[in-house]
Amino acid sequence: MSEDLARDHEQLLEFLYACPIGLVEFDPTGAILMINPNAMKHLLPLAGPRDPGNLFAMLQECAPELRNLYDDFAKDRGTICDGHRIAVDIGVGRRGTDPKVLACTLVKLAPDRAIATFSDITVQVGQERRLRQTETWFGSLISGINDYAVLSITADGTIDGVNDAFTRQSGRPTEDVAGQPVDRILKVDMAAGSPSLCDQLRLAERDGWYLDESWQQRTTGERYWCQRLFAARPEGDGVCQPKGFFVVLRDVARDESDTSDLRRLLLFDHLTGAANRTHFLQMFEREQRRWQANRQPLSLILLDVDFFKAVNDLHGHPTGDVVLKQLSQVCSAMLRPSDLFARLGGEEFAVLLPDTALDEAVAMADRLRAAVAAMVIATSDGPLRITASFGCATATEACASVDGMIGLADGHLYAAKHAGRNRVHARASIPDAA
Amino acid sequence: MAVSTAFDDIEIGTLVALPEAERDALPYGVTGLDSEGLVVVYSAAEARMAGLDRDTVIGQPYFDSVAQCMNNFMVAQRFEDETELDETLPYVLTLRMRPTRVRLRLLATSSEPLNYILIER
Repeated sequence: MSEDLARDHEQLLEFLYACPIGLVEFDPTGAILMINPNAMKHLLPLAGPRDPGNLFAMLQECAPELRNLYDDFAKDRGTICDGHRIAVDIGVGRRGTDPKVLACTLVKLAPDRAIATFSDITVQVGQERRLRQTETWFGSLISGINDYAVLSITADGTIDGVNDAFTRQSGRPTEDVAGQPVDRILKVDMAAGSPSLCDQLRLAERDGWYLDESWQQRTTGERYWCQRLFAARPEGDGVCQPKGFFVVLRDVARDESDTSDLRRLLLFDHLTGAANRTHFLQMFEREQRRWQANRQPLSLILLDVDFFKAVNDLHGHPTGDVVLKQLSQVCSAMLRPSDLFARLGGEEFAVLLPDTALDEAVAMADRLRAAVAAMVIATSDGPLRITASFGCATATEACASVDGMIGLADGHLYAAKHAGRNRVHARASIPDAA
Repeated sequence: MAVSTAFDDIEIGTLVALPEAERDALPYGVTGLDSEGLVVVYSAAEARMAGLDRDTVIGQPYFDSVAQCMNNFMVAQRFEDETELDETLPYVLTLRMRPTRVRLRLLATSSEPLNYILIER
């Protein structure tokens, strides 16, 4: 009998060892109770110097939101998140492959016990991206079909053509649309992560097309999910100047329930509301391509809260979370709408500054530094003050890649830490730089 | 002359020449993989740590079915990329489904058909 049990136990181990999905059982502090090899294969390379026996510690850099999602889940049992995407790589993946993405599902089994699964969805995410691009092109080919509303826009942004399908879709009579500035007719949901209309047109001009997806409203007040393809107008006299745009609008049937919450979850950090790694990466790549095309300056600030571990250790994680939230609010409020404030991991943040030269970026970093140093965080132990260190970089011929700029800014951030913290570094301190 | 069989010292040649009983008596685990990554050598200490029967492990694709936790750039990729390898690194395995800190020593040389992984708890 006990031999049978031993054999069963061994077969169960074999099964779990070979399981192609990562499985982790953990307690409310993140301490791992059980873990299978597939999970460790994905998690250990992310752990760095942090405790490999704690799930939240290992994911602190890549997916700090998981701890917050767990902490905010009030019920004793249930699904906390399903297929939550974790962007492992910033920039391209190892060996030039697609950047690695993991899907994570958290299920709470009891007040003190939860299970996490991890699966590698890098290939699917890469396919999705390519399919989406293909779909956009396909969509532009069949734009003559009736169900596609079409606007035509001049180079200076005036609507000079509109079809009946646009009236059916939006409820606006064509005579109320023609001759109007485009920004009076088309609304942009910037809160949900869409670039401004001006930027969308600029991207269409540069790439030939730009696809936006967002909620729009009919004149009846009803909301609908709208795919909008902005395409540069292929007419003109051969002069290489903007000639205007076509906008193809499609009313896509979509379940209201997955709505903007899902989009927010996909693009923004759960705790701080700052852009998450995935969103930051997409925007950075977009701006980086724009830099390649027109050499408009592009700068990056990395910042890291000083002695953050001590804040958590002395005052507890909830206070640490308040610090991160407050810092995000203070910094976001000081930036322009075109700037992007993102949380890259634990207590590390980034600011992407389009159309900004290095000197301006350094000046902004110093204003952010002063504002962070002036913050007072109320805690149960009395008011708490913090500082942060900053590193800046700007795109140059020698260093324009996403990875390169992050590496450069990170080096300066490290130097700022080394030089005593609460400061901004942007240039190598090697004297022969002159 | 006594040749050291300690975890840090043992040479791949010594390991290959060691009789099976002596290899099983080593205080650390020894796994030998052929060029396809199939398990050829699986020592008693290793079987004990993992909680598996040696007979079921022999012939299995190691990095796919037994030790996926090493199937990444830190271990498996090293054997693919390097023909001469002798490196010791701290690692965390999932022996019996528990995170377990170990030291790994990766050994490969072009004159020996098998690659070896030594595991010390």
